[in-house]
Amino acid sequence: MNNAVDTSLFAPSGPGGGNEAILEVRDLCVGFPSDDGILHAVDNVSFDLRANETMGIVGESGSGKSVTSMAILGLLPKYAKITGSVKFRGEEILGVRDKDLTAIRGAKIAMVFQDALTSLNPVFRVGDQIAEAVSVHRKCDRKELRERSLELLELVGIPNPVARLEQFPHEYSGGMRQRAMIAMAIANEPDILIADEPTTALDVTIQAQVLDVLERIRDRTSSSIMLITHDLGVVAGVADRVLVMYAGRQVEMATVDDLFYRGLHPYAQGLLASLPRLDRRGDSGQLSRIHGQPPSLVFLPPGCAFNPRCPHAQPGVCDQNVPLLREVERDHFSSCIRAEELVAKGSES
Amino acid sequence: MSNADLELAVGAEPVARTQWQLFRRRFFKHRLAVVSLVILILITAACAFASRVAPYDISQLDLSLLGTVTGPSWKHWMGTTDSGVDQFSQILHAGQISLQIGFAVAVLSTLFGVAVGALSGFYGGALDKTISAFTDGFLVVPQLAILAVLLQYFGHSPRVIILVLAGLGWTYVARVSRGQVLSFKEKEFVEAARASGAGGPRIIVRHILPNMVGPIMVNLTLSVAGAVITESTLTFLGYGTQPPDTSWGLMLSQNEGAINDTAKLHLLLFPGLMLLIVVMCVNFLGDGLRDAFDPQATHSR
Repeated sequence: MNNAVDTSLFAPSGPGGGNEAILEVRDLCVGFPSDDGILHAVDNVSFDLRANETMGIVGESGSGKSVTSMAILGLLPKYAKITGSVKFRGEEILGVRDKDLTAIRGAKIAMVFQDALTSLNPVFRVGDQIAEAVSVHRKCDRKELRERSLELLELVGIPNPVARLEQFPHEYSGGMRQRAMIAMAIANEPDILIADEPTTALDVTIQAQVLDVLERIRDRTSSSIMLITHDLGVVAGVADRVLVMYAGRQVEMATVDDLFYRGLHPYAQGLLASLPRLDRRGDSGQLSRIHGQPPSLVFLPPGCAFNPRCPHAQPGVCDQNVPLLREVERDHFSSCIRAEELVAKGSES
Repeated sequence: MSNADLELAVGAEPVARTQWQLFRRRFFKHRLAVVSLVILILITAACAFASRVAPYDISQLDLSLLGTVTGPSWKHWMGTTDSGVDQFSQILHAGQISLQIGFAVAVLSTLFGVAVGALSGFYGGALDKTISAFTDGFLVVPQLAILAVLLQYFGHSPRVIILVLAGLGWTYVARVSRGQVLSFKEKEFVEAARASGAGGPRIIVRHILPNMVGPIMVNLTLSVAGAVITESTLTFLGYGTQPPDTSWGLMLSQNEGAINDTAKLHLLLFPGLMLLIVVMCVNFLGDGLRDAFDPQATHSR
């Protein structure tokens, strides 16, 4: 697991590049002790989050998306074994004391959680909860807090914000709750907003509204967004760059266009192929799928974690060493050993 | 997305109410709790000002009645005792000590128990192990025996009784609130609070404890009832309040022989009835408070 990625790979380049990285994640590993051995939830993940960009992190359940974001904020339980480095504006924030982290959490890096109903405190009015999020980091009097809460509710597009301030979370609809969560997260104008599946619990129209709010806020506060999702449609809609994860490892990192039109990794290709499309139909009329099951994170297959399910796997090649993420094309990273071969093959046919 | 589409129809806007207004509304819907509260206030006030409210001075004996127990009459509502004292007056005076012990024990043991339980549940580790072992230890020892021994050792004044009862009572509250904190600690809104930069003490006080107000209130009222009953039990057994102080338990204890004598039955009936009324009212009040503190209990219309 100590096959470090060459960090020079991440020099800003390509579309969306030129911006400085405000968050640098290097060789992040997270392991949880289990009865059968160490569970490698995140394995050697390295990426940069650039200023004012939206980066999508995609993967199926258990691929390490959420654990990565929790590790960045130091929110994982104590028994988690975390190694690597996370630098926020050049300063190491991994493994620092909780006390120092509280100054960053919420103020510099904020998080929007997946389930807005359980993430809001049921016994407080929404207005008071937003005010609380502000007052954790700033001393304000009641009037200022109220005005700020009102402004935030307006910003995230909640109708009747004055009346809504006084209501409890259970009186909000699902979409409004999620917007209230976003209002709390942006209360201190953070530089980075980590949104952990912010639209999963919402129906499609509300999803669009929430994503719209996120984009508007990014443009207004020139913050960066880390959007964690398993919904490729969401990623295609709002992300600038995408990181695809599989079994705790990075398999592909590219701009949205590169990923969707010229995906380099068989897993990412498989994911895209499995999306239902109106304009194309398989011969059988069935959706294509990736065969098999994701591997156990305790007993990963040797070599590439995807090789048992990969249609392009070559015995003796893919099951030998853990492949590293490398720049195959400009600003387009893949961990597939055969990436170049597959590109060549693809352009032939 | 245009906000105009989302605007509510005129008149459909929810009316903003203050937290206190909502609390009052929900509480007053609970008729039984309101009635109980009124009864409790009346009893407490009557006992507190017993020296002025009581129709007779209990230190002045009606010598014409000495030695003759009389049943309830217009002159003596609850009859008179062996020593010719008006029982209604005596009950008011005795209530002072019974209620004082009940409320003081409940407040002390709840405050201390919640604080210890919350710290133990939230921080876990060695602190939690120690506290849990200690509170669980109290489960397996005969409480009444310990109380009796402690009171025998430290004396029988109301203050000592309060401290001894609270000293044992907090373990139960601590165990309950530890469990509550343990479950709230895992809730996402606590994680969200942590992610927004709140530290441990802030999370406990501002995010977790407000969620526990309902259960804590119920516990508080239950421990008022519990303390009143425990005091009576101990006194009945001869370990609690001792003369010249008097309490409902002591009155029961002094008249235990009356169970075989219909002429004296009122000497057991009225102190017992007072205990019953207070304990029941306190429990109903607890129900009402729990519902009133839960913002989801009844939806505002």
